[in-house]
Amino acid sequence: MNRIFINTDYCKGCLICVECCPKKALKASSAISAKGYTLPEPHNPEKCNGCGMCEIVCPDFAIAVEKEDKAV
Amino acid sequence: MLKHPMLKYLKEEGPYGPRLPLILCPGCGAGQVLNFTLHAVDSIIEEGGAKKEDFVFISGVGCSSRLTSHYLNFDSAWTIHGRSLAIATGALLANPGLNIVVFTGDGDAAAIGGNHFIHAFRRNINVTVICMNNGLYGMTGGQVAPTTLSQAITSTTPYGNIEDAFDLCRLAQTSGASYVARWTTAHPLKATKAIKKAIGKKGASFIEILSQCPVHKKETPVDMIRALKAMTVPIKKAEGSDKIPVGEFCDTPRPEWTEKYETIIEKCTARRS
Repeated sequence: MNRIFINTDYCKGCLICVECCPKKALKASSAISAKGYTLPEPHNPEKCNGCGMCEIVCPDFAIAVEKEDKAV
Repeated sequence: MLKHPMLKYLKEEGPYGPRLPLILCPGCGAGQVLNFTLHAVDSIIEEGGAKKEDFVFISGVGCSSRLTSHYLNFDSAWTIHGRSLAIATGALLANPGLNIVVFTGDGDAAAIGGNHFIHAFRRNINVTVICMNNGLYGMTGGQVAPTTLSQAITSTTPYGNIEDAFDLCRLAQTSGASYVARWTTAHPLKATKAIKKAIGKKGASFIEILSQCPVHKKETPVDMIRALKAMTVPIKKAEGSDKIPVGEFCDTPRPEWTEKYETIIEKCTARRS
């Protein structure tokens, strides 16, 4: 399964990644972060196909996707 | 924890402590354009098209121009307002082999740097100009700019803008640019592809990326990205539409300025000897 990492120090909670994810594998968190932002969180992470769209659209370089090794 | 793949090109730590997160407001389009550019530059470096040392990033003043020397782990210069293209010309004359990328905002390119803008394209110097057009002066408080759309509300046009906006792509094209394209932050893959193509072109290339300023427009970034997608139309279907055309405006190679300059130098040195 692909794993999504969100850097809570860099993320400013614009939620563009939630909007742009083609598989809807992210959602807005119900909690508010230490800096006062509503951060995204993985939602049905098994839906993530590792396309990397969230990495391209992120304005703050705060999200990363670890792609599952297909050979394993 | 896995980090964003483009963080390898950014300076996370500086002499006075951490430099990231970026200074930009949440959801700013300028951060997205930096991300697109780094993806394009990364794929060029991975394919062996150029080395990291060959790239120089130059910017003027404005929100979008904060992106160069403070954050980028490339050779870069954060220069004076509107004159980034003049400094890029100087850098190119000193070393014609460089891949120069100029980050500029709409105020920097079209307002204070308007003359540098048109003459850089007239000369067809080998630079890639990436203009982040959010349609207002973001850093100074969201005032009306030459690129503000007609009827748009800004802090100095509370009843709607009565002027028409500058079409920067048409301006660059008629001034003589070799490659001109316009995309928005709602078209990340196409914008990245256009930036990659523009860097590979010899001559002046211009990429305008319509972006969002959620703070001064008082909308959420997601709503603004949806609006950008809705207000644009591909250039082939733009005939008769009142929407903003996006796509490739021109791809017409012309002799490049430093090459012509080299031939003059060769001619004069041959005559002397």
